[in-house]
Amino acid sequence: MSLDELIAIVPAAFGGVTWGIFGGALPGISPSITMALLLPLTYGMDPTTAIVMLAATYVGAEYGGSIPAILIRTPGTNAAAATVMDGYAMTEQGRAGEALGISLYSGFVGGLFGLGVVVLLAEPLSTVALAFTPPAYFALGVLGLSVIASLARESLVKGLMAGVLGLMISTVGTDPVTGLSRFTFGSPELLSGIPPILVMVGLFAVGELLAESGERGWHQAAPERARIRFPSPALWRRIALPQAIGSVIGAFEGMMPGGGGAVSSFLAYNEARRWSRRKEEFGRGSPEGIAAPEAANNTVACTTLVPILSLGIPSSNSAAVLLGGFLLHGLIPGPMLFVSHSGVVTGLFAGLLAANIAMLIVGYVLMGPCIWLVSRPRPYLTAFIYALVVSGVYAIETSLFQVGVALAFGLAGYALRYFETPLLPMVLGVILGFMVESNYRRALVLSGGDHATFLQDPVSAAFLTVAALFLVGSIAGHALGARRRRGAELPA
Amino acid sequence: MSRDLAFGVAGVVVAAGYYRMAAAIPTSALADAVGPQGLPKAYAVVLAALSLLLVGRSLRTRNADPRPRIPDPESRIPDPRFHLLRALGMLAIGVVYIAVVPWLGYVVALAGLVLAATWYRGGVFNGQIATVAAAGAIVFWLLFVRLLGIPHPPGVWPTLF
Repeated sequence: MSLDELIAIVPAAFGGVTWGIFGGALPGISPSITMALLLPLTYGMDPTTAIVMLAATYVGAEYGGSIPAILIRTPGTNAAAATVMDGYAMTEQGRAGEALGISLYSGFVGGLFGLGVVVLLAEPLSTVALAFTPPAYFALGVLGLSVIASLARESLVKGLMAGVLGLMISTVGTDPVTGLSRFTFGSPELLSGIPPILVMVGLFAVGELLAESGERGWHQAAPERARIRFPSPALWRRIALPQAIGSVIGAFEGMMPGGGGAVSSFLAYNEARRWSRRKEEFGRGSPEGIAAPEAANNTVACTTLVPILSLGIPSSNSAAVLLGGFLLHGLIPGPMLFVSHSGVVTGLFAGLLAANIAMLIVGYVLMGPCIWLVSRPRPYLTAFIYALVVSGVYAIETSLFQVGVALAFGLAGYALRYFETPLLPMVLGVILGFMVESNYRRALVLSGGDHATFLQDPVSAAFLTVAALFLVGSIAGHALGARRRRGAELPA
Repeated sequence: MSRDLAFGVAGVVVAAGYYRMAAAIPTSALADAVGPQGLPKAYAVVLAALSLLLVGRSLRTRNADPRPRIPDPESRIPDPRFHLLRALGMLAIGVVYIAVVPWLGYVVALAGLVLAATWYRGGVFNGQIATVAAAGAIVFWLLFVRLLGIPHPPGVWPTLF
């Protein structure tokens, strides 16, 4: 990597972290929404700069979420929910600055650990994909779709329905084999299909704006004033174990489908409490209770890249938006990414390192503006996010039609929220749909229509087996959970 | 009607409409064994099957427990009718923006969008909000048009002056 490239990456990392901290600090704006809002703005950028900026946004948002969690008892992101317990307790004790310092420092430690895991695992895992043929790519797509089963939370059926709806959306446009137009209603704008970015901005950002429009009023939070205080050497030693616990849990959860920051934060909190010598302090302002979840969610922000870079499979909403960033810039994750775009990968790793360092600096400097932003009235925030959506989406292809498509998907996102259906299965369907269909049909053309080709190809057979096991396991898990719930509802 | 039942019925309707459109895709001389209709039809069938499963499950649950469903206070959207109207109103602000921006131009239309969304969400309209909306639109114009070089619609203004 040349010095010029490095010089371009560092501002992108700082910019992404800054954007992420502000976005994460706003309650209701998740890291995925923060990233989705930025996605259109990266369109004109160099691919490496764009990907670094998006990844840095995720890193920044995970820290940003802890600011309102600590100061106003409102987690900015789901992953910061575990930080509320001890973070706000410390604020009530007049130790808000110390809590923010622990959060920032632990996020930095977790981020560096996660980066190490990505560098070590992503490329070796991706070499498997060098042996990929059309059947293997089809099977990989099916494996990616099987993730839906674990993302469906309480209703497997609704999650699967959302996934199929996503697959249907992916069929809009020109047929990959014959070139015929499908579901375009005669519109030339739809011939190239519906870009996943419009689906993501619509479902996540516009859908959230619509969902919160029912809350009318001039709400304004009154947060505490605080100045960050980094941990003393004695405190460093005390929070080292919870940070290690959080980092290890975050590393695994980041790579697992459906894991994500929220799950890892609570797991890390519980484990830190279990291993602590001062269990009684948890929930009453324990520094360990902040260190573990904050290290975990920042580790996740890095390790979520492992399945994306190596196989092109997103494991969470934020990862799906990041994958959307790769696709927007014509980058296909997998082994060829490490060969044909090695500069992007190296740049991403360097950018993540810069982002974690930037988080320490920007997090310290931006504390005042963040407190100011958190205390802005919600109506202003809603209006400016709306303005950002319409301006950003228009910027992709200078098309008002696309702004309309994003708004339409906003309505779809609202409907899915109303029906209590997860959004990510639909996004996965849209992203993986084209890959599944085109490779399925290519494989059949090459085999003369023989479906046995999917089992004769060893990689394909392995992926399909894993996908089947994954689906069966998830269905069994859902059935068991439903039986337990029914059992719990029965009168004693 | 419960939310699951409504979602199931909507799924059946979408699947039927989509299947009909898929069946209407013309066949091509270049078509492979699956054809351009193959997977879309399969998706429609799977969606219909899942939707019917959801409908059946929600009907069975309702018959087993005929008590009226108490709205979940933790639900993201607790009161559907009021909430849907509010959401459609917010969506309409964006639709109006798309309709007027070619004529009013980016800055004026965006200021209108910010003003309308702030008023709609906050229920208050005053000079401060108008000033913030105008200033915000100018900042967005500086960012997108001047700095990033995105040619947002200028509107009819250049032809007037």
